[in-house]
Amino acid sequence: MGVVILVVMAAGVAAMLTRRIPTAFALVILAVAIALLAGAPLTGENSVLDTVLQEGAPALAATMVAIILGSWLGRLLDETGIAGTLVRKIVEFGGDRPTVVALGVLAVSALVGTVTGSAPAAMLAGIIGIPAMIAVGVPKVTAAGTVLMGIAVGAPFELPVWQFFSTALNLPIPTVRGFMVKLFPFALAAALAYVVIETRRRGTEHTWSLKSVPARPRSRREQLGDAPWYALLAPVVPLVLALGLEVAIVPSLLAGVGYALVTTTRPHEMNKRLLRTLYGGFEVAAPPIALFVAIGILLAAVKLPGAVDALQPLVKAVSPDNPVLFVLVFTLLVPLCLYRGPLNVFGLGAGIAGVLIATGIYPAAAVLGMATSYNQVFGVADPTSTQTVWSAQYAGVTPQQVMIRTLPYVWVVALGGLCVTAALYL
Amino acid sequence: MTAPTAGPDLARTDDIEWAVRLLAATPTHESRDPQLLRRWALAADAFGAALAPVACTARIVERDGGLAQGLLARYRSRPPTVELYTDTLALAERVVDERGWRTWYPPGSVRAAALAHEAVHAHLHHGPARTALKRTLGHTALRLGRWQVPGHVAGAEEVAAHAYARTVCGLGRSPLLLTAALAAATGDDRARTARREN
Repeated sequence: MGVVILVVMAAGVAAMLTRRIPTAFALVILAVAIALLAGAPLTGENSVLDTVLQEGAPALAATMVAIILGSWLGRLLDETGIAGTLVRKIVEFGGDRPTVVALGVLAVSALVGTVTGSAPAAMLAGIIGIPAMIAVGVPKVTAAGTVLMGIAVGAPFELPVWQFFSTALNLPIPTVRGFMVKLFPFALAAALAYVVIETRRRGTEHTWSLKSVPARPRSRREQLGDAPWYALLAPVVPLVLALGLEVAIVPSLLAGVGYALVTTTRPHEMNKRLLRTLYGGFEVAAPPIALFVAIGILLAAVKLPGAVDALQPLVKAVSPDNPVLFVLVFTLLVPLCLYRGPLNVFGLGAGIAGVLIATGIYPAAAVLGMATSYNQVFGVADPTSTQTVWSAQYAGVTPQQVMIRTLPYVWVVALGGLCVTAALYL
Repeated sequence: MTAPTAGPDLARTDDIEWAVRLLAATPTHESRDPQLLRRWALAADAFGAALAPVACTARIVERDGGLAQGLLARYRSRPPTVELYTDTLALAERVVDERGWRTWYPPGSVRAAALAHEAVHAHLHHGPARTALKRTLGHTALRLGRWQVPGHVAGAEEVAAHAYARTVCGLGRSPLLLTAALAAATGDDRARTARREN
């Protein structure tokens, strides 16, 4: 039966790869199929309807709330001009040195990446950051990659991601935080190396573009003033609270929302702005929330006793015990998290992680290390992930060009993360 | 200079106003006062026009595909190369004829202007002229008492490069006017948006 379940999983991956079915829908169909194959009854204990669908759907509720709050803060950073001001200041200070500007945009992207992820994070940093880099001579592919590498630097400190791994892998937040702190230096070193090496290797580029002069003067209504300097600290507030003072994730994010609001908004406008950005945040949060509902359902399915019994011998046979082999095998498998592949933890990878833990093959902390290492790769280089597609297209290049340029760097990050995992947990 | 016989709408906008529009469309200038942009445009234009002639030492490559990318020319620093897009240059010559702007842009002058424009980018990229341009613009990014940090003005280098090309090639009007006409000719709506490249 284990083989049949694996075949069904492979079919699910094929459906996602070919985009015949949206990932969230494919995961739910997959979960129901796995539960039925594992012999789960329709209702009652360990059943398809009551356990997989009813209990699985809200299993990652805490993550969903964190996602909504992160998206809310992201909308506030956008609407209040905080994100735009950060980029403008960077260009003013370092504009005649493209590498300095790119490093500055990298820093802003990292800050934004701690607050929210995916395309909204790329847009917050990239809407001004990408054309600003291009305007000072940074080549387009390098500019798009810089925003993505920056978001990946912030990803280890993205509070909703902590919540996700904590809930999905049943680990306490301090364990997740402890590993993320160790993963961060690899992400930072790779991102700095990317900017410095790529800007030096590719040099600068200036074009006489037909798009440079608008036929009409810009409308004043489109304009947004600079946020005050103290408001620029808003993205750091949740991070300081959650990382430095060990405050829980939801209050940390709420404090960030409050700080961004108070430092930028007149009292009589606060209610209106809070509601507007909150509702806007729901729009931004809708796609990841749909995915987290589906992932919760899939996790519930692969943890069913019948599924664990069927999959354990097969997965155990192919999973290396030796720490060196662990690092080698899972580093070579890195490309499998691209193109919505089977190791994408925001897809079928979550199910595989669940299987590895439920079958007791690896400790949950080791699975955390593996999953977060892969997260660093597909968050940057996956040509089907929304932030990569958006950044590449906004810069005027293809996602594949960005993948080719960034993959070597993030592959090294994954290697680093897997080495730490093997050293600490195997 | 004889007035053109066609395309009066674009030509009615003066060269400095085109430079202001270029700056206004450059990211980071969304909230700037139009008067400040005008001051910067004037300063950058004067800087470019006063630059001593600069030889183009970069390798020159001519190729097709400019219209598809919306480009007339491109400078790359590694290795120093100026790419001239022949299809866009050919269209530029046609647009000049159609709009009756030949007195402003003599035959072959667009190619020469493209080379001059990109030569200035190379000059500003490698030499001390970039600092001089910054000083001319007089923008302060940070002021703490007497201590000041001069600020970079994105897009000013582009305005200077166009002014230099206009001067050394003896053009009657800025290449920015021709750029706007080319954008109109290619029907590129994106030219009306805020995004720009230089």
